[in-house]
Amino acid sequence: MDADSFNDLALRVIAGEATDTERHALEAELSAHPERQDEYEQMRIAHDVLRTTAPMAEAAQAKEPELPAYRMNELRTAVRQHFGPAANRGKNSSGLISALRWIFAGGGLTALTVLVVFLNLSNHTVEVGVYRADLMRNGDASLTPQDVPTARLMTFDQDTPFDQWQSQSLAWYEHAKIWVDNEHDLLHVVRRMDHGRISRETYPLAPTNEGQRDQIKQTVESLKN
Amino acid sequence: MGTDRELLDALRRGDDEAWEETFRRLYPCAFAAARHPLASLTPAEAEDIAIEALTLLLPKVNQVAEFDELRLLVITIASRKAISEKRRQLADKRGGGDLTSLDAMQDDETIRFEPAEQVAGRLSVTDLRDLSRLLDAALSGLEPRNADLLRDFLVHHLSYKELSEKYKMPVGSVGVNLARSLEKIRAQLKAAPKLWKELVSFLR
Repeated sequence: MDADSFNDLALRVIAGEATDTERHALEAELSAHPERQDEYEQMRIAHDVLRTTAPMAEAAQAKEPELPAYRMNELRTAVRQHFGPAANRGKNSSGLISALRWIFAGGGLTALTVLVVFLNLSNHTVEVGVYRADLMRNGDASLTPQDVPTARLMTFDQDTPFDQWQSQSLAWYEHAKIWVDNEHDLLHVVRRMDHGRISRETYPLAPTNEGQRDQIKQTVESLKN
Repeated sequence: MGTDRELLDALRRGDDEAWEETFRRLYPCAFAAARHPLASLTPAEAEDIAIEALTLLLPKVNQVAEFDELRLLVITIASRKAISEKRRQLADKRGGGDLTSLDAMQDDETIRFEPAEQVAGRLSVTDLRDLSRLLDAALSGLEPRNADLLRDFLVHHLSYKELSEKYKMPVGSVGVNLARSLEKIRAQLKAAPKLWKELVSFLR
């Protein structure tokens, strides 16, 4: 069998395009010429590598579709979870130089006052995590930001970011976070106690949507007090 | 946002606008990668994978030297996740998720994903960039019609029959042309011995 015919036959078998007769013909050829086994193996590797990587290389040129607008909030949440609140970001070297200049210009006392006030105000944020789908499904009984005006409502479209949010430690500015676990009918509460100790508690979930909304409202209020 | 360098700096600072622009820019690539023909996921499934891949860029932003590496990174992440997802779906369907069951072990279709998972899982951004350049150079060295034929076979995974219809040539000629073109690309790959050795190690 010449090289062209062998390559053609080998590729058919590797690509899953060969008939039984062709597969047997290749087996016979490899038995008769074991030195071609390596040739066949090299072709299989090239085929597997290129059929996996060529679509990936092509993907780098893709210009569409556009990012669906309804997925942007999910991505914004991921950014906030990773970097913390927006107000705490964007410190760069020029900002640092300005800050130093400000301190040396006599702003130190003011800064100290601001820091004391800031520390008093921090550690009071309560976050409430919910699936967006649950909010939509629950209709009028849905929890709204107006129900928990003192808390931050965090909505999630997918399990992964919601799971990440649940398992993340409380941020320095957070006092507590709560979420509903519909799978086990539990309300989870993670809160910062005295001396920075973190407490994790679960409570049986109210049986109705209205009951759950009231339960969350009451829990948020109790956490603020 | 100005240059890619400035954009990358802003991403590292956690600038919201920079991230939104990046997500918009990279989503088409992430989606295309999630629609890898081996995975053959639905558009809705691919969208979920693409979004997840974009969020996975967040912890990686300090590890890249230039913005374009994020593009290659999101492609490798999305492709790997898409192929793994397809394999998981097939495993669930065939063995109820139990890969040791007799039904699952017999004629296990998921085995065909192993090479792709190995390659996609271990391919670095640099490897993908080198491979893309090499593939472009190799395809441009072929007759345009043969290059298109090979591209459809490698990129879009068209079957011999589909290629025969599209290019109006006998199935036998499709096979011969593909084998010759692939042989030329293989020769070019072997001319980059470091990369080739690495790729071979993924599959052996």
